Amino acid sequence: MESNASSETTHRSSAFDVVDLLKSYFQRSIAIIIFLLIWEIAPRVGLVNILFISPPSVIFSSMVDLILSGELTTHTIASLIRVFTGFGLALLVALPLGFLLGGWFKEFETSVNPLLQVLGQANPFTLFPVFMALLGIGEISKIAIIYWVCQWPILFNTVTGIKNVDPVLIKMARTAGLSKLEMFWKVLLPASLPTVFTGIRMGAGFAFFMLIGSEMIGAHSGLGFMIIKAQGTFQIPKMYAGIVTVALLGIVINYVMLELEKRSVKWKESIVI
Amino acid sequence: MNNIEAINVKKTFKIRNAKTSNKGDAFTSKFYALDGVNLNIQAGEFFVILGPSGCGKSTFLDLIGGLTEPDEGKILIDGKPVEGPGLDRAIVFQQPALFPWRTTLNNVSFLLEAKKVEKSAREEIARKYLSLVGLTGFEDRFPYELSGGMKQRVAIARALAINPEILLMDEPFAALDAQTREIMQIDLLKIRDQTQKTVLFITHSIDEAVFLADRVAVMTARPGVIKTIIDIPIPQKSRLSNDVRITREFIETRHKLWELLKEEVVKAQKYSKCSIEDCTPADSRSIKKAPVLSIPLDARSK
Repeated sequence: MESNASSETTHRSSAFDVVDLLKSYFQRSIAIIIFLLIWEIAPRVGLVNILFISPPSVIFSSMVDLILSGELTTHTIASLIRVFTGFGLALLVALPLGFLLGGWFKEFETSVNPLLQVLGQANPFTLFPVFMALLGIGEISKIAIIYWVCQWPILFNTVTGIKNVDPVLIKMARTAGLSKLEMFWKVLLPASLPTVFTGIRMGAGFAFFMLIGSEMIGAHSGLGFMIIKAQGTFQIPKMYAGIVTVALLGIVINYVMLELEKRSVKWKESIVI
Repeated sequence: MNNIEAINVKKTFKIRNAKTSNKGDAFTSKFYALDGVNLNIQAGEFFVILGPSGCGKSTFLDLIGGLTEPDEGKILIDGKPVEGPGLDRAIVFQQPALFPWRTTLNNVSFLLEAKKVEKSAREEIARKYLSLVGLTGFEDRFPYELSGGMKQRVAIARALAINPEILLMDEPFAALDAQTREIMQIDLLKIRDQTQKTVLFITHSIDEAVFLADRVAVMTARPGVIKTIIDIPIPQKSRLSNDVRITREFIETRHKLWELLKEEVVKAQKYSKCSIEDCTPADSRSIKKAPVLSIPLDARSK
Protein backbone atom coordinates (compact mmCIF):
# COMPACT_ATOMS: atom_id res chain seq x y z
CA MET A 1 0.00 0.00 0.00
CA GLU A 2 2.56 2.44 1.20
CA SER A 3 5.00 1.76 -1.60
CA ASN A 4 2.14 2.06 -4.04
CA ALA A 5 1.24 5.47 -2.75
CA SER A 6 4.79 6.72 -2.85
CA SER A 7 5.37 5.46 -6.39
CA GLU A 8 2.20 7.23 -7.42
CA THR A 9 3.42 10.54 -6.01
CA THR A 10 6.80 10.23 -7.68
CA HIS A 11 5.05 9.39 -10.93
CA ARG A 12 2.85 12.41 -10.64
CA SER A 13 5.73 14.72 -9.80
CA SER A 14 7.74 13.47 -12.77
CA ALA A 15 4.74 14.20 -14.99
CA PHE A 16 4.71 17.70 -13.59
CA ASP A 17 8.43 17.94 -14.25
CA VAL A 18 7.89 17.13 -17.90
CA VAL A 19 5.17 19.76 -18.21
CA ASP A 20 7.37 22.31 -16.47
CA LEU A 21 10.28 21.43 -18.69
CA LEU A 22 8.25 21.78 -21.87
CA LYS A 23 6.86 25.04 -20.63
CA SER A 24 10.31 26.44 -19.94
CA TYR A 25 11.61 25.28 -23.34
CA PHE A 26 8.64 26.91 -24.99
CA GLN A 27 9.14 30.11 -23.06
CA ARG A 28 12.77 30.28 -24.00
CA SER A 29 12.40 29.40 -27.69
CA ILE A 30 9.22 31.25 -28.63
CA ALA A 31 11.02 34.44 -29.65
CA ILE A 32 13.44 32.52 -31.85
CA ILE A 33 10.63 30.53 -33.46
CA ILE A 34 8.66 33.67 -34.31
CA PHE A 35 11.79 35.36 -35.65
CA LEU A 36 12.53 32.37 -37.90
CA LEU A 37 8.92 32.28 -39.12
CA ILE A 38 8.96 35.95 -40.08
CA TRP A 39 12.33 35.48 -41.73
CA GLU A 40 10.98 32.56 -43.74
CA ILE A 41 7.73 34.21 -44.79
CA ALA A 42 8.87 37.78 -45.48
CA PRO A 43 11.14 37.02 -48.47
CA ARG A 44 8.71 34.47 -49.87
CA VAL A 45 5.73 36.82 -49.96
CA GLY A 46 7.89 39.60 -51.35
CA LEU A 47 8.02 41.76 -48.23
CA VAL A 48 11.79 41.89 -48.64
CA ASN A 49 13.89 41.11 -51.69
CA ILE A 50 14.59 37.38 -51.77
CA LEU A 51 17.78 38.08 -53.71
CA PHE A 52 19.36 39.73 -50.66
CA ILE A 53 17.66 37.92 -47.81
CA SER A 54 17.43 34.16 -48.21
CA PRO A 55 14.78 32.38 -46.17
CA PRO A 56 16.07 30.00 -43.46
CA SER A 57 14.94 26.89 -45.34
CA VAL A 58 17.08 27.89 -48.35
CA ILE A 59 20.04 28.65 -46.05
CA PHE A 60 19.61 25.30 -44.37
CA SER A 61 19.60 23.35 -47.64
CA SER A 62 22.60 25.37 -48.76
CA MET A 63 24.38 24.42 -45.54
CA VAL A 64 23.57 20.75 -46.14
CA ASP A 65 24.99 20.98 -49.66
CA LEU A 66 28.10 22.72 -48.39
CA ILE A 67 28.62 20.10 -45.71
CA LEU A 68 28.14 17.28 -48.21
CA SER A 69 30.61 18.84 -50.63
CA GLY A 70 33.03 19.25 -47.71
CA GLU A 71 33.48 22.96 -48.34
CA LEU A 72 31.88 24.17 -45.11
CA THR A 73 33.80 21.62 -43.04
CA THR A 74 37.12 22.62 -44.59
CA HIS A 75 36.54 26.29 -43.93
CA THR A 76 35.26 25.68 -40.42
CA ILE A 77 38.29 23.58 -39.55
CA ALA A 78 40.64 26.20 -40.98
CA SER A 79 38.93 28.86 -38.86
CA LEU A 80 38.88 26.75 -35.72
CA ILE A 81 42.59 25.97 -36.00
CA ARG A 82 43.36 29.69 -36.19
CA VAL A 83 41.08 30.63 -33.36
CA PHE A 84 42.28 27.91 -31.01
CA THR A 85 45.95 28.52 -31.75
CA GLY A 86 45.60 32.25 -31.12
CA PHE A 87 43.39 31.81 -28.08
CA GLY A 88 45.58 29.02 -26.70
CA LEU A 89 48.69 31.17 -27.06
CA ALA A 90 46.93 34.01 -25.27
CA LEU A 91 46.04 31.68 -22.40
CA LEU A 92 49.60 30.38 -22.21
CA VAL A 93 51.06 33.89 -22.07
CA ALA A 94 48.44 36.05 -20.38
CA LEU A 95 47.46 33.75 -17.51
CA PRO A 96 50.96 33.24 -16.03
CA LEU A 97 51.86 36.84 -16.77
CA GLY A 98 48.71 38.06 -15.05
CA PHE A 99 49.37 35.91 -11.99
CA LEU A 100 52.95 37.14 -11.79
CA LEU A 101 52.06 40.79 -12.26
CA GLY A 102 49.13 40.72 -9.87
CA GLY A 103 50.65 38.51 -7.22
CA TRP A 104 54.39 38.95 -7.08
CA PHE A 105 55.54 42.02 -8.95
CA LYS A 106 52.98 44.53 -7.80
CA GLU A 107 55.33 47.51 -8.00
CA PHE A 108 56.31 46.56 -11.51
CA GLU A 109 52.65 46.08 -12.38
CA THR A 110 51.87 49.62 -11.24
CA SER A 111 54.57 50.89 -13.60
CA VAL A 112 53.61 48.88 -16.67
CA ASN A 113 49.84 48.99 -16.22
CA PRO A 114 49.36 52.33 -18.06
CA LEU A 115 51.36 51.04 -21.01
CA LEU A 116 49.37 47.80 -21.09
CA GLN A 117 46.13 49.73 -20.96
CA VAL A 118 47.17 51.83 -23.95
CA LEU A 119 48.21 48.75 -25.93
CA GLY A 120 45.00 46.98 -24.99
CA GLN A 121 42.92 49.93 -26.12
CA ALA A 122 44.47 50.05 -29.58
CA ASN A 123 41.85 49.00 -32.13
CA PRO A 124 43.05 45.64 -33.47
CA PHE A 125 41.65 46.26 -36.95
CA THR A 126 43.86 49.29 -37.27
CA LEU A 127 46.82 47.18 -36.20
CA PHE A 128 46.15 44.49 -38.78
CA PRO A 129 48.18 46.19 -41.53
CA VAL A 130 51.09 46.41 -39.10
CA PHE A 131 50.85 42.70 -38.36
CA MET A 132 50.67 41.91 -42.07
CA ALA A 133 53.69 44.07 -42.77
CA LEU A 134 55.66 42.39 -40.01
CA LEU A 135 54.48 38.79 -40.31
CA GLY A 136 53.31 38.52 -43.90
CA ILE A 137 49.89 37.64 -45.21
CA GLY A 138 49.94 33.96 -44.17
CA GLU A 139 48.63 32.09 -41.15
CA ILE A 140 51.04 33.65 -38.66
CA SER A 141 49.71 37.17 -38.95
CA LYS A 142 46.13 35.96 -38.46
CA ILE A 143 47.00 33.85 -35.46
CA ALA A 144 49.08 36.72 -34.06
CA ILE A 145 46.25 39.21 -34.32
CA ILE A 146 43.83 36.79 -32.65
CA TYR A 147 46.37 36.20 -29.92
CA TRP A 148 46.86 39.94 -29.55
CA VAL A 149 43.17 40.62 -29.17
CA CYS A 150 42.28 37.97 -26.66
CA GLN A 151 45.31 38.33 -24.43
CA TRP A 152 44.14 41.67 -23.02
CA PRO A 153 40.91 40.71 -21.28
CA ILE A 154 42.61 37.58 -19.96
CA LEU A 155 45.60 39.53 -18.68
CA PHE A 156 43.66 42.40 -17.13
CA ASN A 157 41.11 40.17 -15.45
CA THR A 158 43.78 37.87 -14.05
CA VAL A 159 45.69 40.81 -12.59
CA THR A 160 42.50 42.25 -11.10
CA GLY A 161 41.41 38.85 -9.80
CA ILE A 162 44.67 38.27 -7.97
CA LYS A 163 44.89 41.79 -6.63
CA ASN A 164 41.36 41.71 -5.27
CA VAL A 165 41.63 38.51 -3.26
CA ASP A 166 40.11 39.20 0.15
CA PRO A 167 43.05 40.23 2.40
CA VAL A 168 41.40 38.42 5.31
CA LEU A 169 41.78 35.12 3.47
CA ILE A 170 45.45 35.84 2.85
CA LYS A 171 45.95 36.77 6.48
CA MET A 172 44.23 33.56 7.53
CA ALA A 173 46.42 31.53 5.21
CA ARG A 174 49.50 33.30 6.52
CA THR A 175 48.77 32.03 10.02
CA ALA A 176 49.22 28.54 8.60
CA GLY A 177 52.72 29.46 7.44
CA LEU A 178 52.14 28.40 3.82
CA SER A 179 54.91 28.63 1.27
CA LYS A 180 54.48 31.04 -1.64
CA LEU A 181 53.60 28.21 -3.99
CA GLU A 182 51.06 26.72 -1.59
CA MET A 183 49.61 30.17 -1.06
CA PHE A 184 49.13 30.44 -4.81
CA TRP A 185 47.54 27.02 -5.32
CA LYS A 186 45.41 26.98 -2.23
CA VAL A 187 44.33 30.59 -1.88
CA LEU A 188 45.17 33.02 -4.68
CA LEU A 189 44.24 30.80 -7.61
CA PRO A 190 40.85 29.57 -6.39
CA ALA A 191 39.93 32.97 -5.00
CA SER A 192 40.66 34.75 -8.27
CA LEU A 193 39.10 32.09 -10.48
CA PRO A 194 35.72 33.79 -11.04
CA THR A 195 37.36 36.98 -12.30
CA VAL A 196 39.90 35.06 -14.34
CA PHE A 197 37.11 33.09 -15.99
CA THR A 198 35.30 36.25 -16.99
CA GLY A 199 38.49 37.30 -18.77
CA ILE A 200 38.82 33.95 -20.52
CA ARG A 201 35.22 34.10 -21.71
CA MET A 202 35.66 37.63 -22.99
CA GLY A 203 38.89 36.55 -24.70
CA ALA A 204 37.14 33.68 -26.46
CA GLY A 205 34.47 36.05 -27.75
CA PHE A 206 37.06 38.54 -28.98
CA ALA A 207 38.98 35.73 -30.67
CA PHE A 208 35.99 34.88 -32.85
CA PHE A 209 35.40 38.49 -33.66
CA MET A 210 38.93 39.00 -34.81
CA LEU A 211 39.10 35.68 -36.63
CA ILE A 212 36.30 36.58 -39.03
CA GLY A 213 37.64 40.08 -39.43
CA SER A 214 41.12 38.92 -40.33
CA GLU A 215 39.78 36.29 -42.72
CA MET A 216 37.73 38.92 -44.49
CA ILE A 217 40.76 41.15 -44.94
CA GLY A 218 43.13 38.61 -46.38
CA ALA A 219 42.80 34.84 -46.51
CA HIS A 220 42.27 31.89 -48.83
CA SER A 221 40.37 29.72 -46.38
CA GLY A 222 38.15 30.02 -43.35
CA LEU A 223 34.58 31.04 -42.72
CA GLY A 224 35.27 34.77 -43.03
CA PHE A 225 36.87 34.17 -46.42
CA MET A 226 33.93 31.98 -47.48
CA ILE A 227 31.41 34.66 -46.54
CA ILE A 228 33.25 37.44 -48.37
CA LYS A 229 33.83 35.31 -51.45
CA ALA A 230 30.19 34.16 -51.58
CA GLN A 231 29.11 37.77 -51.34
CA GLY A 232 31.51 38.76 -54.12
CA THR A 233 30.18 36.04 -56.42
CA PHE A 234 26.59 36.73 -55.42
CA GLN A 235 26.01 33.30 -53.88
CA ILE A 236 23.72 34.78 -51.25
CA PRO A 237 22.46 31.51 -49.62
CA LYS A 238 26.07 30.37 -49.27
CA MET A 239 26.96 33.67 -47.65
CA TYR A 240 24.16 33.23 -45.14
CA ALA A 241 25.26 29.64 -44.55
CA GLY A 242 28.63 31.04 -43.48
CA ILE A 243 27.05 33.67 -41.26
CA VAL A 244 24.82 31.11 -39.54
CA THR A 245 27.76 28.75 -39.00
CA VAL A 246 29.76 31.53 -37.34
CA ALA A 247 26.81 32.38 -35.09
CA LEU A 248 26.32 28.73 -34.13
CA LEU A 249 30.02 28.32 -33.34
CA GLY A 250 29.86 31.43 -31.16
CA ILE A 251 26.90 30.02 -29.24
CA VAL A 252 28.65 26.67 -28.73
CA ILE A 253 31.89 28.29 -27.53
CA ASN A 254 30.04 30.55 -25.13
CA TYR A 255 28.04 27.61 -23.79
CA VAL A 256 31.16 25.51 -23.25
CA MET A 257 32.83 28.41 -21.44
CA LEU A 258 29.84 29.01 -19.20
CA GLU A 259 29.62 25.32 -18.40
CA LEU A 260 33.33 25.17 -17.55
CA GLU A 261 32.94 28.23 -15.39
CA LYS A 262 29.94 26.83 -13.58
CA ARG A 263 31.80 23.63 -12.84
CA SER A 264 34.92 25.25 -11.48
CA VAL A 265 33.17 28.02 -9.58
CA LYS A 266 30.20 26.08 -8.27
CA TRP A 267 30.76 27.48 -4.78
CA LYS A 268 29.62 30.92 -5.81
CA GLU A 269 26.29 32.04 -4.51
CA SER A 270 23.90 32.60 -7.36
CA ILE A 271 22.67 36.13 -7.04
CA VAL A 272 19.02 36.74 -7.71
CA ILE A 273 18.15 40.32 -8.51
CA MET B 1 53.47 25.55 29.88
CA ASN B 2 52.70 27.79 26.92
CA ASN B 3 52.53 31.07 28.76
CA ILE B 4 52.78 34.30 26.81
CA GLU B 5 55.03 37.13 27.81
CA ALA B 6 55.21 40.58 26.27
CA ILE B 7 58.09 42.80 27.30
CA ASN B 8 57.94 46.49 26.45
CA VAL B 9 56.40 45.82 23.04
CA LYS B 10 56.26 48.81 20.73
CA LYS B 11 54.81 48.97 17.28
CA THR B 12 54.63 51.94 14.97
CA PHE B 13 52.97 52.37 11.62
CA LYS B 14 53.91 54.69 8.85
CA ILE B 15 51.00 56.69 7.59
CA ARG B 16 51.06 58.23 4.18
CA ASN B 17 49.39 61.59 4.55
CA ALA B 18 47.01 62.67 1.86
CA LYS B 19 47.81 66.27 2.59
CA THR B 20 51.22 67.42 3.70
CA SER B 21 51.34 68.65 7.23
CA ASN B 22 51.38 72.42 7.46
CA LYS B 23 54.59 72.19 9.44
CA GLY B 24 55.94 71.03 6.12
CA ASP B 25 57.99 68.08 7.30
CA ALA B 26 57.35 64.70 5.74
CA PHE B 27 54.84 62.99 3.54
CA THR B 28 54.76 60.13 5.93
CA SER B 29 54.31 60.26 9.64
CA LYS B 30 54.86 57.61 12.21
CA PHE B 31 52.28 56.79 14.76
CA TYR B 32 52.46 54.52 17.72
CA ALA B 33 49.92 51.73 17.76
CA LEU B 34 51.51 50.17 20.82
CA ASP B 35 53.84 52.04 23.11
CA GLY B 36 55.41 49.64 25.54
CA VAL B 37 53.03 46.81 26.32
CA ASN B 38 53.98 44.55 29.21
CA LEU B 39 51.94 41.43 29.89
CA ASN B 40 52.31 38.01 31.32
CA ILE B 41 49.60 35.54 30.42
CA GLN B 42 49.63 32.28 32.33
CA ALA B 43 49.28 28.90 30.70
CA GLY B 44 45.68 27.73 30.65
CA GLU B 45 44.36 31.17 31.40
CA PHE B 46 41.45 32.87 29.68
CA PHE B 47 42.86 36.32 29.24
CA VAL B 48 40.82 39.17 27.79
CA ILE B 49 42.17 42.43 26.48
CA LEU B 50 39.58 45.17 26.63
CA GLY B 51 40.02 48.51 25.00
CA PRO B 52 38.40 51.28 23.00
CA SER B 53 38.31 50.83 19.26
CA GLY B 54 41.53 51.68 17.49
CA CYS B 55 43.73 51.26 20.56
CA GLY B 56 45.99 48.62 19.05
CA LYS B 57 44.36 45.46 20.41
CA SER B 58 44.39 43.71 17.06
CA THR B 59 47.92 44.88 16.40
CA PHE B 60 48.99 43.19 19.61
CA LEU B 61 47.24 39.96 18.68
CA ASP B 62 48.87 39.97 15.23
CA LEU B 63 52.24 40.30 16.95
CA ILE B 64 51.57 37.25 19.11
CA GLY B 65 50.31 35.40 16.06
CA GLY B 66 53.61 36.19 14.38
CA LEU B 67 51.92 37.98 11.49
CA THR B 68 53.91 41.14 12.18
CA GLU B 69 57.02 41.92 14.20
CA PRO B 70 57.37 44.44 17.01
CA ASP B 71 59.60 47.44 16.44
CA GLU B 72 60.87 47.25 19.97
CA GLY B 73 60.55 44.80 22.80
CA LYS B 74 59.99 41.08 22.75
CA ILE B 75 57.20 38.56 22.72
CA LEU B 76 58.05 35.26 24.32
CA ILE B 77 56.05 32.05 24.30
CA ASP B 78 57.41 29.65 26.88
CA GLY B 79 60.45 31.87 27.06
CA LYS B 80 61.17 31.59 23.34
CA PRO B 81 60.77 34.62 21.10
CA VAL B 82 58.03 34.46 18.47
CA GLU B 83 59.42 34.02 15.00
CA GLY B 84 56.65 34.23 12.46
CA PRO B 85 53.35 32.36 12.42
CA GLY B 86 53.18 28.84 13.76
CA LEU B 87 50.66 26.08 14.24
CA ASP B 88 51.11 26.17 18.02
CA ARG B 89 48.87 29.25 17.84
CA ALA B 90 45.57 29.50 16.03
CA ILE B 91 43.77 32.73 15.31
CA VAL B 92 40.05 33.39 15.00
CA PHE B 93 39.40 36.72 13.34
CA GLN B 94 36.43 39.02 13.50
CA GLN B 95 35.45 37.88 10.01
CA PRO B 96 35.12 34.11 9.68
CA ALA B 97 37.69 34.16 6.83
CA LEU B 98 36.40 30.91 5.38
CA PHE B 99 37.46 29.93 1.90
CA PRO B 100 34.28 30.19 -0.16
CA TRP B 101 35.34 27.39 -2.53
CA ARG B 102 35.81 24.89 0.27
CA THR B 103 33.05 23.02 2.02
CA THR B 104 32.68 23.32 5.77
CA LEU B 105 34.62 20.11 6.25
CA ASN B 106 37.44 21.19 3.96
CA ASN B 107 37.61 24.59 5.59
CA VAL B 108 38.16 22.94 8.95
CA SER B 109 40.79 20.71 7.34
CA PHE B 110 42.73 23.67 5.97
CA LEU B 111 45.11 24.12 8.89
CA LEU B 112 45.43 20.35 9.24
CA GLU B 113 46.71 20.24 5.66
CA ALA B 114 49.31 22.81 6.61
CA LYS B 115 50.18 20.60 9.55
CA LYS B 116 50.70 17.71 7.09
CA VAL B 117 48.10 15.49 8.70
CA GLU B 118 47.12 12.55 6.49
CA LYS B 119 43.93 12.86 4.49
CA SER B 120 41.90 10.19 6.28
CA ALA B 121 42.91 11.49 9.70
CA ARG B 122 42.15 15.03 8.60
CA GLU B 123 38.58 14.20 7.80
CA GLU B 124 38.05 12.40 11.07
CA ILE B 125 39.48 15.27 13.11
CA ALA B 126 37.51 17.86 11.14
CA ARG B 127 34.25 15.95 11.76
CA LYS B 128 35.04 15.73 15.45
CA TYR B 129 35.57 19.45 15.82
CA LEU B 130 32.56 20.30 13.71
CA SER B 131 30.47 18.28 16.12
CA LEU B 132 32.14 20.09 19.03
CA VAL B 133 30.88 23.41 17.69
CA GLY B 134 27.48 21.87 16.94
CA LEU B 135 27.66 21.69 13.17
CA THR B 136 27.26 17.97 12.51
CA GLY B 137 25.31 17.57 9.30
CA PHE B 138 26.72 20.70 7.71
CA GLU B 139 29.98 19.12 6.50
CA ASP B 140 29.24 19.47 2.80
CA ARG B 141 27.80 22.96 2.83
CA PHE B 142 29.61 25.86 1.27
CA PRO B 143 30.14 29.01 3.35
CA TYR B 144 27.49 30.98 1.46
CA GLU B 145 24.96 28.44 2.66
CA LEU B 146 25.71 29.14 6.33
CA SER B 147 24.52 31.87 8.67
CA GLY B 148 26.95 34.34 10.24
CA GLY B 149 27.03 32.45 13.54
CA MET B 150 27.58 29.13 11.78
CA LYS B 151 30.47 30.56 9.78
CA GLN B 152 32.12 31.79 12.94
CA ARG B 153 31.64 28.33 14.48
CA VAL B 154 33.42 26.82 11.51
CA ALA B 155 36.26 29.28 12.02
CA ILE B 156 36.50 28.25 15.67
CA ALA B 157 36.44 24.56 14.72
CA ARG B 158 39.20 25.21 12.20
CA ALA B 159 41.32 26.87 14.87
CA LEU B 160 40.71 24.12 17.41
CA ALA B 161 41.26 21.27 14.96
CA ILE B 162 45.03 21.66 14.94
CA ASN B 163 44.95 21.41 18.72
CA PRO B 164 46.91 24.61 19.24
CA GLU B 165 48.41 25.39 22.60
CA ILE B 166 47.21 28.95 22.35
CA LEU B 167 43.97 30.22 20.92
CA LEU B 168 44.04 33.84 19.78
CA MET B 169 40.64 35.42 19.24
CA ASP B 170 40.29 38.85 17.71
CA GLU B 171 36.76 40.07 18.48
CA PRO B 172 35.37 36.83 17.06
CA PHE B 173 31.76 37.58 18.02
CA ALA B 174 31.69 41.29 17.22
CA ALA B 175 29.87 40.84 13.94
CA LEU B 176 27.18 38.54 15.32
CA ASP B 177 23.71 39.45 16.50
CA ALA B 178 23.16 39.76 20.25
CA GLN B 179 21.47 36.39 20.77
CA THR B 180 23.89 34.37 18.69
CA ARG B 181 26.67 36.17 20.45
CA GLU B 182 25.55 35.10 23.95
CA ILE B 183 25.14 31.51 22.85
CA MET B 184 28.58 31.55 21.25
CA GLN B 185 30.08 32.91 24.45
CA ILE B 186 28.58 30.09 26.47
CA ASP B 187 29.76 27.56 23.89
CA LEU B 188 33.24 29.01 23.96
CA LEU B 189 33.41 28.63 27.73
CA LYS B 190 32.28 25.01 27.40
CA ILE B 191 34.85 24.29 24.71
CA ARG B 192 37.54 25.94 26.75
CA ASP B 193 36.48 23.86 29.74
CA GLN B 194 36.90 20.71 27.64
CA THR B 195 40.15 21.63 25.93
CA GLN B 196 41.96 23.65 28.63
CA LYS B 197 43.69 25.96 26.20
CA THR B 198 45.37 29.25 26.86
CA VAL B 199 43.02 31.80 25.33
CA LEU B 200 43.84 35.38 24.48
CA PHE B 201 40.59 37.08 23.61
CA ILE B 202 40.20 40.62 22.36
CA THR B 203 37.01 42.59 22.66
CA HIS B 204 35.60 46.04 23.15
CA SER B 205 32.57 44.69 24.98
CA ILE B 206 32.81 44.92 28.77
CA ASP B 207 30.02 42.43 29.21
CA GLU B 208 31.80 39.88 27.09
CA ALA B 209 35.06 40.47 28.93
CA VAL B 210 33.54 39.90 32.36
CA PHE B 211 31.60 36.86 31.25
CA LEU B 212 34.54 35.08 29.62
CA ALA B 213 37.74 36.11 31.34
CA ASP B 214 39.83 34.90 34.22
CA ARG B 215 41.68 38.19 33.99
CA VAL B 216 40.96 41.34 32.02
CA ALA B 217 43.57 43.83 30.89
CA VAL B 218 42.27 47.29 30.09
CA MET B 219 44.14 49.04 27.32
CA THR B 220 44.46 52.77 26.98
CA ALA B 221 43.47 54.71 23.88
CA ARG B 222 46.13 55.10 21.24
CA PRO B 223 49.00 54.63 21.77
CA GLY B 224 48.02 51.40 23.43
CA VAL B 225 49.54 50.41 26.73
CA ILE B 226 48.10 48.24 29.46
CA LYS B 227 46.29 50.45 31.93
CA THR B 228 45.30 47.90 34.56
CA ILE B 229 44.75 44.22 34.92
CA ILE B 230 41.90 43.02 37.09
CA ASP B 231 40.86 39.56 38.21
CA ILE B 232 37.30 38.50 37.59
CA PRO B 233 35.98 37.21 40.91
CA ILE B 234 33.52 34.78 39.37
CA PRO B 235 34.44 31.09 39.29
CA GLN B 236 34.44 29.64 35.77
CA LYS B 237 32.14 26.78 36.73
CA SER B 238 29.33 28.99 37.94
CA ARG B 239 29.20 30.94 34.69
CA LEU B 240 27.53 28.15 32.81
CA SER B 241 25.12 26.98 35.47
CA ASN B 242 22.98 30.08 35.88
CA ASP B 243 22.54 33.60 34.63
CA VAL B 244 25.72 35.04 36.02
CA ARG B 245 25.05 38.42 34.45
CA ILE B 246 22.58 39.35 37.17
CA THR B 247 24.86 38.54 40.11
CA ARG B 248 26.35 41.28 42.23
CA GLU B 249 29.94 40.32 41.42
CA PHE B 250 29.23 40.57 37.72
CA ILE B 251 27.57 43.95 37.93
CA GLU B 252 30.23 45.34 40.22
CA THR B 253 33.09 44.13 38.04
CA ARG B 254 31.33 45.43 35.00
CA HIS B 255 30.96 48.82 36.62
CA LYS B 256 34.59 48.87 37.70
CA LEU B 257 35.75 48.11 34.17
CA TRP B 258 33.45 50.71 32.71
CA GLU B 259 34.93 53.35 35.00
CA LEU B 260 38.41 52.35 33.86
CA LEU B 261 37.46 52.27 30.24
CA LYS B 262 35.33 55.37 30.09
CA GLU B 263 38.12 57.93 29.98
CA GLU B 264 39.90 55.90 27.34
CA VAL B 265 36.83 55.79 25.15
CA VAL B 266 36.43 59.56 25.46
CA LYS B 267 40.10 59.99 24.62
CA ALA B 268 39.84 57.65 21.66
CA GLN B 269 36.94 59.62 20.27
CA LYS B 270 38.89 62.85 20.55
CA TYR B 271 41.82 61.23 18.78
CA SER B 272 39.71 60.18 15.90
CA LYS B 273 38.56 63.77 15.45
CA CYS B 274 42.03 65.27 15.25
CA SER B 275 44.47 64.64 12.43
CA ILE B 276 47.26 62.17 12.87
CA GLU B 277 50.20 64.47 13.45
CA ASP B 278 48.28 66.23 16.19
CA CYS B 279 48.01 62.92 17.97
CA THR B 280 51.65 62.44 18.79
CA PRO B 281 51.89 60.22 21.82
CA ALA B 282 53.45 61.02 25.18
CA ASP B 283 52.09 64.53 25.51
CA SER B 284 49.20 64.61 27.88
CA ARG B 285 46.48 65.54 25.47
CA SER B 286 45.54 69.15 25.45
CA ILE B 287 42.63 69.04 23.09
CA LYS B 288 40.75 71.89 24.59
CA LYS B 289 41.99 74.29 21.93
CA ALA B 290 38.81 73.98 19.82
CA PRO B 291 38.48 77.47 18.37
CA VAL B 292 34.75 77.89 18.58
CA LEU B 293 33.41 80.84 16.73
CA SER B 294 32.23 83.13 19.48
CA ILE B 295 31.63 86.69 18.49
CA PRO B 296 30.39 88.86 21.32
CA LEU B 297 26.96 90.25 20.81
CA ASP B 298 28.03 93.87 20.98
CA ALA B 299 30.80 93.27 18.43
CA ARG B 300 28.20 92.27 15.93
CA SER B 301 26.03 95.29 16.46
CA LYS B 302 28.88 97.63 15.54
